[in-house]
Amino acid sequence: MSTVDIELRKVRKVYFKDRLEIPVLEGLDLTIAAGEFVVLMGPSGSGKSTLLHLIGGLDSATGGSVRVGDAHLEKMSERERTAWRSRHVGFIFQMYHLVPVLTAAQNVELPLLLFSMSSSQRKERVRTALEVVGLSDRADHRPNQLSGGQEQRVAIARAIVTDPDVILADEPTGDLDAKTSEEILELLNLLNSEFGKTILMVTHDPRAASHGQRTVHLDKGVLDREELNPARPRGAAAMVS
Amino acid sequence: MKLALPLRLIYLYRNLTRNPLRSGLTSAAVALPIMIYVLSMAVVDGFENFLDNSARQLRLAVTQRTSIINPLPEGHRRKIEALDPEKTRLISVCGLRYIGGQRENDPMPLSTLAVDHDTFIASFPEHQLTDEEVDAWLRNKQAIMVGRGTAREMGWKVGDRITIFPSVPPYKLIEFQIVSTLENAQDFVTNWCRRDYLEEELKKYGAPSGNVTFFFVKCASREDLDHFRGAIDAQFAGSLDETRTLDEKTFMNEFVTQQFNLPRNLTILAALTVFVAVMAATNTMSMNFRDRTNEVATLKSLGFGSAFAFSLIQTESLLLCAVGGLVGASVPFVLFTYTPIRNITIPLIQTLEIAPSTCIKAVGMALLIGIVAALWPAWLAVRMKVVSALRSLE
Repeated sequence: MSTVDIELRKVRKVYFKDRLEIPVLEGLDLTIAAGEFVVLMGPSGSGKSTLLHLIGGLDSATGGSVRVGDAHLEKMSERERTAWRSRHVGFIFQMYHLVPVLTAAQNVELPLLLFSMSSSQRKERVRTALEVVGLSDRADHRPNQLSGGQEQRVAIARAIVTDPDVILADEPTGDLDAKTSEEILELLNLLNSEFGKTILMVTHDPRAASHGQRTVHLDKGVLDREELNPARPRGAAAMVS
Repeated sequence: MKLALPLRLIYLYRNLTRNPLRSGLTSAAVALPIMIYVLSMAVVDGFENFLDNSARQLRLAVTQRTSIINPLPEGHRRKIEALDPEKTRLISVCGLRYIGGQRENDPMPLSTLAVDHDTFIASFPEHQLTDEEVDAWLRNKQAIMVGRGTAREMGWKVGDRITIFPSVPPYKLIEFQIVSTLENAQDFVTNWCRRDYLEEELKKYGAPSGNVTFFFVKCASREDLDHFRGAIDAQFAGSLDETRTLDEKTFMNEFVTQQFNLPRNLTILAALTVFVAVMAATNTMSMNFRDRTNEVATLKSLGFGSAFAFSLIQTESLLLCAVGGLVGASVPFVLFTYTPIRNITIPLIQTLEIAPSTCIKAVGMALLIGIVAALWPAWLAVRMKVVSALRSLE
């Protein structure tokens, strides 16, 4: 079980469109404790996904610092961030983004191609990941042979197969019905409570947010407020600075 | 990473078969130009071989200095022979007069030359005539030796009496008797008849006679070739009929390329078709990349780097083009090496030989097409911002 804390200090992110400067995050401070399940909410354009991308090393901040465990992402090159991401971050997307021509097991195996391990080790990891998400019996199915919920489970298995420190989920239930959403959120809860994964989830759905230990509201690129979820008390301290 | 190969191969294979029609058409779009390239290069190589064979014959071609269409007096032959009375260095001089011609009521053009019968055998030993053929040639003034390809096309055989309507004076049907179908000659198109017989026919109808189109001079060695090239022109310098003497390879090359520069034009054609293949393959690879932008973005988000994205697109393109290249190179090779297609009595087809080296070059060219075609989409994959790509899809 590996887990790390996340610390953002005075993070700024500016996009340029047609030479126009568009500020998305403006001096944002946020600390997430190791093993915490944090939900990010806010209106469209408030910078939720951008924040997720910065923490995941998919993008670099215009200013400030982003630390995930021992990694200071603002000091890393894109190549270094890519290599770091493969070992420390698991991404879950709203649209699953599975490779349609590969089976569920092969999709889950994909990130392991970046690791030096034997075929049998990879198969074992894939089997375990699929077991965790309850899809052992669908290993040989292709995405078009799975339901939306099953596809998202495969995507979760793909995110956890490398045993990352952090799981970043961008509206993972946004494309699912209520019942399936609940199953997916329970699964994320399980990853957090049983496997100690630090989870940061973006959502618009208050019911989904109720699965987190803390909800952080963003508005216009700054932290608006935070709410602790009494139904899901956290062990480690976390705070909004 | 070695152990990870199977899934990479599976992924590669599934990507290629994801849209079988598109992949098939792309490979075909590469195969066809490669086929044209192979055939064009085979013709060019054949022409080069023909020229090299001509060079090996140690012959000089002597024409009118002003133009090949102006004839030379037949008397030049004795003067050229006089340059080496012992005939040790200058083996033979053979006058040739173009007849061309066609069969009566048949528009198919023939390539017929009237030659000095007494020096023809020594001047053109590559025809490898039998004693019986030589004897019949020397005995019979109406003798004609026909190229075996022409003979098959026309249904001619040894002993047949045939008539040819010449393309030059006297423009009257001339009767010949076939004494050979030149089974061992490299040239299987040209017909050879006796010039003394033609002269008789020309005189009979009052047409200009006593001229040849050019002389072929057979030399003993390469040094002699160089020597007589200058000596012959010097002999006739300042006369009414000055000569231009070239070695046979240069002469043939000039003769063919003056009419229609086939090698150059075929090379241009091959280059153009290859360019078309590059465009077709580029289009496919661009579409492949565009269709899978989200997939490449996802792979990058998983930790696969730009090099992986680049190699993914490049490898797919290489494989598609390799398949096209192999098909495009192997089909003509098999057709012209192992099937009866060469029995078709079309001179170009009968002489076509597909060299394995040409096929290897063609496959190499297909691979190059693959690399070039994927450069732009692969570069786009490298430059692609994962965040932008993901955002546009969510």
